[in-house]
Amino acid sequence: MENPYIPMPMNVVKITTEVDTNDIKTFRLTFVSKEDEEKFKYLPGQFGELSIYGKGESPIGIASSPTDPGYVEFTVQRTGTLVGGMVTTALHDLEEGAQIGLRGPLGNAWPIDFLAGKNVVVVGGGFAFTTLRSLINYMIHGENRKRFGDITVVYGARTPGLLLYKDEMAAWQKRKDMVMHVTVDRGDASWKGREGFVPTVCKDVAPSSKNAVTVICGPPIMIKFTLPVFFDLGFSRENILTSLEMRMKCGIGKCGRCNVGNKYVCKDGPVFSLAQLEQLPRDY
Amino acid sequence: MKKIAIDQFSELVKVLAERGPLYAPVKGKEGVNFQAIKNPADVTLDFYNTVLSPKSVFFPQSEDMIRYRITHGATEAQPVPQESRPAVILGVRPCDVRSFEIMDRHFLGAGVIDPYWKSKRDNTTVIGFAFDVSAAADPADFYNTFGYGAADPEGSDVFMVRTDKALLLKSMTDRGKKLLDSLGFLQVAGAQDEKVFEETVKKGKAVRTRSAEINPQVIAKKLVSVFDNGEFWQKVTMACIACGACTYGCPTCYCFDISDEMLFKEGSRKRFWDACTFTDFTLEASGHNPRPRIFQRYRQKVCHKYSYHVDKYGCISCVGCGRCTRVCPVNIDIFSIVDEANKL
Ligand SMILES: Cc1cc2nc3c(=O)[nH]c(=O)nc-3n(C[C@H](O)[C@H](O)[C@H](O)COP(=O)(O)OP(=O)(O)OC[C@H]3O[C@@H](n4cnc5c(N)ncnc54)[C@H](O)[C@@H]3O)c2cc1C
Ligand code: SF4
Ligand code: SF4
Ligand code: FES
Repeated sequence: MENPYIPMPMNVVKITTEVDTNDIKTFRLTFVSKEDEEKFKYLPGQFGELSIYGKGESPIGIASSPTDPGYVEFTVQRTGTLVGGMVTTALHDLEEGAQIGLRGPLGNAWPIDFLAGKNVVVVGGGFAFTTLRSLINYMIHGENRKRFGDITVVYGARTPGLLLYKDEMAAWQKRKDMVMHVTVDRGDASWKGREGFVPTVCKDVAPSSKNAVTVICGPPIMIKFTLPVFFDLGFSRENILTSLEMRMKCGIGKCGRCNVGNKYVCKDGPVFSLAQLEQLPRDY
Repeated sequence: MKKIAIDQFSELVKVLAERGPLYAPVKGKEGVNFQAIKNPADVTLDFYNTVLSPKSVFFPQSEDMIRYRITHGATEAQPVPQESRPAVILGVRPCDVRSFEIMDRHFLGAGVIDPYWKSKRDNTTVIGFAFDVSAAADPADFYNTFGYGAADPEGSDVFMVRTDKALLLKSMTDRGKKLLDSLGFLQVAGAQDEKVFEETVKKGKAVRTRSAEINPQVIAKKLVSVFDNGEFWQKVTMACIACGACTYGCPTCYCFDISDEMLFKEGSRKRFWDACTFTDFTLEASGHNPRPRIFQRYRQKVCHKYSYHVDKYGCISCVGCGRCTRVCPVNIDIFSIVDEANKL
């Protein structure tokens, strides 16, 4: 019998420190077993449970895109101020060459078929950009690009040093087939880009809601102020998508931890449209 | 149908315990509870209902899922092998028997099978046990609400009825029949015994517990509409101290925590019963807690059982066994709360 609680062994082949505060790192993992690799079919928006024996497991969104086969990436923030989070601290203490565990892919995904043929406005704040990065890389990859209309990205962080995936962002900014708006709350001496909060930038950019979907991830406060901007622009509740976070354990809808109303966020989510969220009790 | 004289009961227990794991009620410091039987004399049939529910047989309070050993750089990890000998659980009250089916819908349903629940469940023959139909039901019970009687044999593999001198054992499933057929020392029951058995089942239907008109689909919707009535939830949960006792006792509460325990490079990943009424149940690493207040967590408990579970699995996840009410230190009673919500 298949045991969904057993992690697959993974090699940590590359660790990238993303931010100048050093508390966010991207881990590139490869599969120890060829068989596991073939079985691991995922889409942007899904997550995995990273496992370190002796420490525990943490649900982390998949930051890589299936269009880059051979590995999976996770961008992890070390949590905890006084006492470090068990798993995220242990992950941050790892060195390249280490072995960890992975369960997944878990949860639903950004609805690719629903996005296809539409203009897509991607809005991200802070380090919640991870599965959005996966989505963007998926949409702009080779032949995939033709399946989607205009791609507009608004991405913000508090300071320039906190922006993720800097090299990739630079490459995206050069592309003619997508529009990037990168902003920081507060710039520094070397910052030449935009300053301002994500909701304000969205208002300035004012993407058309015609045949468009917006995909929004970020801290609750950013989402709170961004939503009205998109309502004003005429986006319907069905065309505003987000990814919910709830505390999780099993990731497979069994441990009862992550429900919001009659949905288990780990299994029925984490991706929901605003229309779906409004059907659920305000319990998240 | 088979039978055995009461004074021969320990013989039955002995044989069952020799063949494989036998779980049966044992009187201990905390009252009567299901335990793995080592000494046949420990088993008691003199109890109303166990303090903790029989779910622990399929879903132990603490269970190793994976064991591992970390040596230089490499980790060896193995799922914990499951007991392969057939097991028996004996003495389960009719309402509790129904809890197994409710838990099956969760642990075996929604597209993911929980192997730990499944292997134990598949492996275990359930011997149900009628309540004493000549006695009144405990005032906390409300299993009539779900249409259950005090001696309903449905759901058991073998159903057991106690008479003055004997225990009547009727097989309800093929598995139950196989078990009884394999116990050569049992007597064959006569027509009179059959009659007593049937009468007991009938009398069981007349044993009255608290009861209310609760339709699963209706209450499921009702609770959604009552969800935002904070005043109601605060009023009915004012006394709750979030101790979690009600969920630990409950046969249909399945929430669990997963946690690692390691000592000297050897350890296990375990699961433990958890309780949605605990403060940190939904506390995220960021410090955000969607349900910081007790009324929000107790509301989650009630809505889960009487609304979300109905939406997801088509049935209420409560059997009216009354344990939560009996164990609660501050007399919170889910029945009254649901009944009141239903009438709002
Ligand atoms: C769907 C989803 C995707 C996520 N994606 C990312 C990501 O891409 N990058 C990232 O850095 N973080 C992400 N998180 C948050 C991350 O899971 C937590 O920060 C992490 O579990 C904290 O674990 P810890 O052991 O270090 O902390 P501790 O405080 O020691 O946590 C103990 C345990 O509680 C649980 N837990 C605690 N906080 C959370 C939480 N916020 N969400 C879920 N479970 C929690 C975990 O099981 C964890 O092992 C995501 C969470 C969810 C639900
Ligand atoms: S909620 Fe209470 S009455 Fe219902 S099954 Fe659980 S313990 Fe029994
Ligand atoms: S309802 Fe009673 S038993 Fe349950 S958590 Fe509250 S105080 Fe404890
Ligand atoms: S994390 Fe266990 S049910 Fe969602």
